[in-house]
Amino acid sequence: MAGSAHYREAHPLVFVITHWINLICMIMLAFSGFYIHYPFFDGFMGVARGMHFVAMYVILINLTFRIIAAFFVKTAVDLGSREVDTDIKNWLPQEKNRHQFFETVKYYLFLRKEAVISAKYGSLQKIAYLATVPLTYLMAYTGFAIYGPTMNWGFFAGGVDMVGGPMNMRIIHYFMMWVFIVFTMIHAYLANVYNFSPSKIIFAWKETEH
Amino acid sequence: MAQEAHGAIYDLLAVRGVSRRDFLKYCSYVAAMLGLSEAAAPQIAAAVEKGAKLKPALWINGGSCTGCTESMAQVDSPDVATVVLEILSINAFETIMAAAGHDAEKNIADTVAAGGYLLIYEGSVMTGEDGNTLLVNGHKGTDILEEVAAGADAILAVGACAVDGGWVYAHPNPAKAIGVQSFLDTVNIKTPVVNLPCCPTSPEWIVAMVVQWLLVAEDDPATFLAKTKLRTRTYRDTVTGRDVTLNYPEYVIGSTIHDNCPRRGHFENGHFVTEFGSEEEAKGYCLYKVGCKGPQTFTQCPITRWNRSVSWCVQSGAPCIGCGGLNWVDNNTPFFKRLSSMQMGDTLGNVQPGSVAAVVGGVAAAALVAHGLGMKAAGRIGPDGPPVETAKAYDRKRMAKKGGDK
Amino acid sequence: MARVVVDPLTRIEGHLRVECEVQDNKIVDAWVAGTLYRGMETILLDRSPEDAFYVSQRICGVCPISHSHASAQATEDALGITIPEGGRLVRNLLEAAQYLHSHILWFYHLTALDYVSPINALSANIADTYALAEAAGTRVNDFGAVAARLTAFAENGQLSILTGHYWDHPGYALPPELDLIATSHYLEALEMQAVANEIVAIIAGKFSHPMTSVPGGTAFVPTVEKLDDILFRFIRVKEFIDTALIPDTLAIAPFILDATTYGAGTGNFLSWGVFEKSSRVAEERYLPRGFAQGLAAETVSPDDVTEDVAHAWYSSGTGLNPAQGETVAKFTEYNMDDFPGESDKYSWGKAVRCKGLSTESGPLARMVVAYLAEKGGQDLTGGATGVRTPAALIDSTLEALGVAGKPEVLVSLLGRVAARNLEAAYVADLALVWINELIEALRGGDVKFWEAAETNNGSGVGAWEAPRGSVAHWIGVKGGKIDHYQIVAPTTWNTAPRDDNGVRGPLEEALIGAPVADPERPLEVLRIGHSFDP
Repeated sequence: MAGSAHYREAHPLVFVITHWINLICMIMLAFSGFYIHYPFFDGFMGVARGMHFVAMYVILINLTFRIIAAFFVKTAVDLGSREVDTDIKNWLPQEKNRHQFFETVKYYLFLRKEAVISAKYGSLQKIAYLATVPLTYLMAYTGFAIYGPTMNWGFFAGGVDMVGGPMNMRIIHYFMMWVFIVFTMIHAYLANVYNFSPSKIIFAWKETEH
Repeated sequence: MAQEAHGAIYDLLAVRGVSRRDFLKYCSYVAAMLGLSEAAAPQIAAAVEKGAKLKPALWINGGSCTGCTESMAQVDSPDVATVVLEILSINAFETIMAAAGHDAEKNIADTVAAGGYLLIYEGSVMTGEDGNTLLVNGHKGTDILEEVAAGADAILAVGACAVDGGWVYAHPNPAKAIGVQSFLDTVNIKTPVVNLPCCPTSPEWIVAMVVQWLLVAEDDPATFLAKTKLRTRTYRDTVTGRDVTLNYPEYVIGSTIHDNCPRRGHFENGHFVTEFGSEEEAKGYCLYKVGCKGPQTFTQCPITRWNRSVSWCVQSGAPCIGCGGLNWVDNNTPFFKRLSSMQMGDTLGNVQPGSVAAVVGGVAAAALVAHGLGMKAAGRIGPDGPPVETAKAYDRKRMAKKGGDK
Repeated sequence: MARVVVDPLTRIEGHLRVECEVQDNKIVDAWVAGTLYRGMETILLDRSPEDAFYVSQRICGVCPISHSHASAQATEDALGITIPEGGRLVRNLLEAAQYLHSHILWFYHLTALDYVSPINALSANIADTYALAEAAGTRVNDFGAVAARLTAFAENGQLSILTGHYWDHPGYALPPELDLIATSHYLEALEMQAVANEIVAIIAGKFSHPMTSVPGGTAFVPTVEKLDDILFRFIRVKEFIDTALIPDTLAIAPFILDATTYGAGTGNFLSWGVFEKSSRVAEERYLPRGFAQGLAAETVSPDDVTEDVAHAWYSSGTGLNPAQGETVAKFTEYNMDDFPGESDKYSWGKAVRCKGLSTESGPLARMVVAYLAEKGGQDLTGGATGVRTPAALIDSTLEALGVAGKPEVLVSLLGRVAARNLEAAYVADLALVWINELIEALRGGDVKFWEAAETNNGSGVGAWEAPRGSVAHWIGVKGGKIDHYQIVAPTTWNTAPRDDNGVRGPLEEALIGAPVADPERPLEVLRIGHSFDP
């Protein structure tokens, strides 16, 4: 947030890299996904599908690695602080987030003037960042459920039956893409609404003092 | 004795210009369709040629258009005459049987009384208007199905309508049509049902299952399901409100049309037909962009093909409309769009997922721009950022109440 | 007085009940009831017009091509599309293939068993059979082999689809040799109807339920290899029609000449016209649009249609033109014992009327309309060579039956049977004309097959002819979605119940006065019912 310094302890190099991988994979997945949904130019389907699968495997591995790393890598405990603790503690809800969810919502809806006290990530942020984990796995699940070689596996076929057939699964897969797009829009907006210091640290690993 | 019976059928076939060799060739073709080894061919030949007594069968039309009967008339090998004269004794077959009226009803009653028959059911089960949407000589179609199904050794539900109600089941389903399995579940009839999809279904699939049944029935009809390679699908029937589990032969729904499509190469190359009757169509490009539902339709159409294997939908230039899937009309319309429209209640009409997504994305983007302007207007954006509270609102309230946090 | 009920009337598409009042071996009253309701028109609402093309044809598995063409034409009319020449020719060929399939299947497999007894054929003398076939000019088969096959079949004791019928009825009056010839053609026709349908499959993917005649033209693009596959199949089917279907009809006719004396029906005939010409004028189609009353020609338009529901299980408005039509099902009960009484609704079919009249449609109606047009000086074929026109076919048949110059004889049971087979001959000739036209067009290059719509609002009607009768689809499109859909299916005309004024439908009327030799075994009812190919 504006007013706080952004130090490398907040986002150690390894997470800068996983964030970059996420970004690149997401762009590749979204682009190739829209192309597969409706090929808006000729001659690219094989490449698009290859891209879609490679990016999907990479982002799944990256996500899994990111979760494991959260238990071993230490990150800053607060904004503008160089004090570190195991990352998972900073990722999961903390004492500072308690009772702040509705206050945060009120702040963003202009129903209160002062910004709220928060941990490194606010209540809303933590919900969003935690939700991306199951959402990404679910996205992969819906993808496998409409992918020829795997759609007949019991694990996926059961899900297809549950939602009422492969067409519905395809539509769910399509809508979930939009969930990620809207998430990314909000994420990029809120992170950078005060200034671009958060982007500088997460992408360029460049420290700023405010 | 068996040797004599064999001799008799070969004499008969020879009269018709069919050699023993041709016959065994046909049997091995059936074996391949059923996923059996070629070694089963002599066994199949024996089942088909069981000279003395033909196995009885009933072909009953429910809420049907007779399209599956028509399809049956286009069967390749054996031809339809062989099926009705020398493979099965189809004692009732509404569209081609000689008898009518009371005589037709008597044929059905006699066959049911004798038992040990195969029931082939075409068309949807009409439950609307209290079952009066289908009447045969004053009997409701549902009552007739109940009677013939209970006594059958096995049932083949042929065509999309018999599988799950087909197009008649589509929203808003004014005649309350349902599938055979779904209906039998409600009246607690446990006769094994094998479903054959598509609108109409493929005659080759029917014949393969008939032969499979003959093979099994020789032995013990009760083992029909256990001895047939099946795959199941489950859906929620909106009329009965029940979950229905359907058995399909694995050879029919084992893979998607897309995976077996001769135009698949063009798909991977990214060569598409964007307009009907175009140069691209003449080149046999992929129909994906005009809404082909091959990628999510599980049938053997590209392999079996239609009308004695001369062609099939995609080969003729039309996109697959997904008639082999469940609730195929609702799940695949509009047929020329990639995704089906979503029925949002009775009044909102069909909405394309893309339109919904564009609205959601647009609203989100607009909201963020407005919010950003609001943040600026509220003076929150500056070098020091907004003022931050000194204590949580929750704690302030508690302090006021109890005189202090923690 | 005796009640004769035939339900189910088998060897038809769908479910039909015929109930007759018989007095002194003559039918004095009749009720024909459609006994199935599925609700197609309601299901189509709120979908795209091209969805109607695919779904509405599924109302009938025997004439889906005609329904699909009527639906496509309704959409084209609504959205202002004129299909290109390539599309026109491909559709004509597709429709022709279905006609040939349908007429062959109808004659040999649906109605022949009302006249021909395969059981009686067992006593045929093989040598005499060859002699008779030669004399009748009909197709010679290996009659010995067919007889051997039949014998093996019959000796087995299980008659399969021939079970339980009254083969000893005196109406089965053909000599056993002719029974054997017809039975051998029955078996061969199974092959021929399939060959005709292979043409359908090449052009439209499969039969039933064709895929390619989408609104705007066709999705099928003919290539050289596909064209010759189509051409030589048409030639094969045409040969069968000329060497079996027509001679068989003429060979059987002398044994059933009494069938010219009953089964006439209402004598009002409708044809919407079928097989489009370049002019795209319905009155100039190869089988033209028209109406006939007492063999006098009149013009007709889809606006002349109304549907009454006084005797049908619907609660929606009555007497409406389908452009304003509604379909709301409401079953009451079936009770004909005290007709007309309290509950005098008895069918799921609406009573469709043209110009307020109970009107027959189908091959007889088309041939009458075409015959009158030709006699009125119209050139039906546009000068195409090698085509036997309806007037030529009818005149030569009347001559062969010894009633030259008396076309009114055609308005009868036998006439209805003959008209269908004569139409098959005409259509088979035309198919060869169209395929040559298509080949010429392709050779000239620059032939288009499909045209996109430029608007997504409008309302229209597609009025066309199925093998068994007049079919019309009415559509209203708003914002690319269907907001109105009504279908008048071919058989609805012929099997209509009584209208609001109590006037009988054509099949009901055709039954009146018909003889029934044995009310327990009403063979004549089957014959008249099947003559409409319901």
